[in-house]
Parts: sequence; C-alpha cells; structure tokens
Amino acid sequence: MLMGVLLPTLAAADTVYETQSDFLNRAFAGSAPQTRAIWLSGEIKQSVRQLLGHDYPALRLRYWCQAPRTAWVLDEVGKELPITVGVVVDNQHIESLRVMVYRENRGGEVSTPAFTDQFNGLSLGADNALGASIDGITGATLSVQALTRLAGLALFLHGQTGCDHDA
Amino acid sequence: MDKPGVIMTRKIKTPGSSTRRWHRGIGVGASLFVVFLVITGLTLNHAHQLGLDQRHLSPRWLLRWYGMGDTEALLHFSTDGQWLSFAGSQLYLDGKAVTTATHGVGAVKYGDWLIAAGAKELLLLNSGGELIERLPWERSGGGNIEAIGHGTNGSLVVKSRGKAWVADAELLDWILPAEPPAAIEWSSPENAPAELQQAIASHYGGKGLSLEQLLLDLHSGRIFGWVGMLVYDLLALVLGFSALSGLVLWWRTRGNGKSNGRP
Repeated sequence: MLMGVLLPTLAAADTVYETQSDFLNRAFAGSAPQTRAIWLSGEIKQSVRQLLGHDYPALRLRYWCQAPRTAWVLDEVGKELPITVGVVVDNQHIESLRVMVYRENRGGEVSTPAFTDQFNGLSLGADNALGASIDGITGATLSVQALTRLAGLALFLHGQTGCDHDA
Repeated sequence: MDKPGVIMTRKIKTPGSSTRRWHRGIGVGASLFVVFLVITGLTLNHAHQLGLDQRHLSPRWLLRWYGMGDTEALLHFSTDGQWLSFAGSQLYLDGKAVTTATHGVGAVKYGDWLIAAGAKELLLLNSGGELIERLPWERSGGGNIEAIGHGTNGSLVVKSRGKAWVADAELLDWILPAEPPAAIEWSSPENAPAELQQAIASHYGGKGLSLEQLLLDLHSGRIFGWVGMLVYDLLALVLGFSALSGLVLWWRTRGNGKSNGRP
C-alpha cells in the first residue's frame, strides 16, 4: 500500500487506436478521396441537435466520399471528455464504426471491436432512430450512448451529402 | 544486601516506563502539529461566518503553486482589426472567451475566417467567434505546428518540422509544395491594448484563491501534494499511537492505584 502511495499518480492520457490517415486508408483501401465539407446550418443543424441532444461543436464537418460510401470522423462527449470515432457508411448502412481516440479513464471497453461490431449493418429508421438497439457495457453507459448518437449522426449526414448518387 | 543506616536507591522500573517515554516523546513532537490542526480546524468550522470563502489571495507565486496559470504568459495576435489571444487552455476573441486551445502559436485572418493555431491543432472561427472547425494537425508525421502565416498569394501556410504546408482554398487539404512560397508573412504575437489584456487576465486568473480553500489544503496537507498528504497520514498514525499509548498507561496506573488501597 505504501508503494502505491509513493508511486507518482499517472495522469490520464489519450489512447489513440487509429489515426485519421489510417482510418481513411482502411475505409478506402488505401486511396482516400478528396476531402469535402458539409455545413451544419439550417435544417441540418436542427436535425443534428435532435439526434445529439445538443449542437455539434462545429459549424462544418469534413467527410470523404467515394460513392456510395462516406467516411466521417466525429467527436462526442462520453462522461467528461470527447470520444473520437471513425464511421464508414456504405449505401445508408454502417459498414464500420471504430473508436479512434478514447480519453476517459473508464469505459474504454467501448473501444473494442467486439462492442463496435454491433453497429455494423445498422441504418436509420423513419424517425432517425437506429434500426436496432445496442447492448450496453456495465460501467460504460455514457460512452455507449455517445457512440450510439454518433452512429445515428453519421447515417443522417451521409443521407445529406448525396454521396450515394455521385458517380 | 542493604547495609543498615545506608539508604540505597535502586532504579525501580515502573510498569510501562518505555510506553511512557514514547508517549511523552510523541506528545511533545506532535504538539505543534496538533495546535496547528486545532487552529485551522476551528477557523474552518466558522469559515462562512468569517467570510473566508469571499476573501481571495492572488500573489503570483501562490497561483503558480496551485497551477492556476501564469497570467503573464498570454499571447495576443492581431487579425485585421480583431484580437485572438491565448491564455493557458483558453482562446479569446477581442477579450471574450470563445473556445479551448492550447500552446498558442499564431493567428491569422483568412477571408472571412479567423484561424488560430495551437501546437497540435488549427481552429477555424467566424468573425463572431463561433467555431467552424477544429482541425487536429496530423500532417508532417507527428510534428507540431511551429508557425502560421500567409503566402504571397494570400494562401494559408503552416510551418511544421521546418517545412511549409500550404492549404487549399477551403482549408480542406494541405500540400507540401516542392518549392515553398517565396515570401511568407508569419504571424507573431503583439502587444494588445491594455484594457483587453486586463480583461483576459481577470477572466483567466479569476479572483484568485479563496482563503477557505487555502486553509482546507493546509489542514489536510494537500497543499504539499501527495507528499504532504503522506506526511499528514503518518502524523495521524503517530497521534493515534499516542492516544492508544495514553490509554494503555491510564489502564496500567489505574490498576496500580487500586492495589495501593487508594480510593
């Protein structure tokens, strides 16, 4: 116990699971398309607010489109700190959702593919809700909810980009 | 054998004499600590009546000790009539806090946008201070942003690992041209108007440290970090031993008193 007291307290550090360039390489098999941007204004802003329960902390979001696929790097606060998530949407369905950066001290189980694979294949229903419920992880409820919101956001924004129809 | 007429003295070992010595030694040694705890404890018990939570201290050395930031380490950048200022983890536009940003490097105006550069990210803001986008800097293989500026044609340029990266018109992508722009005007900190600096310093530094908080930290040892807490823990254990040894001594002498026939 004394050693535990004497050892310096380790500061919480970001855990980086995937960089943006690695994410894009994975999403587009090594040939990432040009970066595009979507502005979160007007009706899109209102829909985003409904999906997240708050405004997204940016007025513009960049994404990558290679029809019918888009890739998104999104942030949402779990308990206290933002979780950075990379989402690939293909033809209105989530192809993959992965935690890129996890910053909290607890709840990191949501970063495991065993958890995020639940999102694969999901789409949005008529009321902008995800097509299936996500099994939570005890002790990581807020992180699970954050990822669920981001999954819905990515699907919604994919629909707004028109990327499905790009040649 | 005792000789008649001679008074022999013998050192009688009273029961618990070593305990008594320890008890006395600890008591003397810890008495100052106890007095200190009594004073701080009594004061804290009446902190509200004494208004300790409303009284603040702000000597620089104390704020630094608490890690409350050095209000002298502010950076101000003029961006075509507006001021972007970095103070610790806070970014200010014309003296108003707008968002978080660390390790400020520079700031420029780019079209209708303001671009603030930290060591690891760029922040795109509109003229009202709303955050358009926060861009982690992931170019140049992990290097930090060293400077931000304008190229000759007004392009946005970022220096990282000694190389000049040029942004496209919409700031969506960056290229590393074989020939860097001929003349780059790099952003550099300037002296902002005094009232602006004062407003930011007040907001960033706050009122200072409340007297109540200082006393709480002195009372608990936290003011000295984990070392202080450890020392206080040890002193608490020592005082606990002192209390136990006192009990032991009382119990033993209580038994001695009874056996001598005293009431």
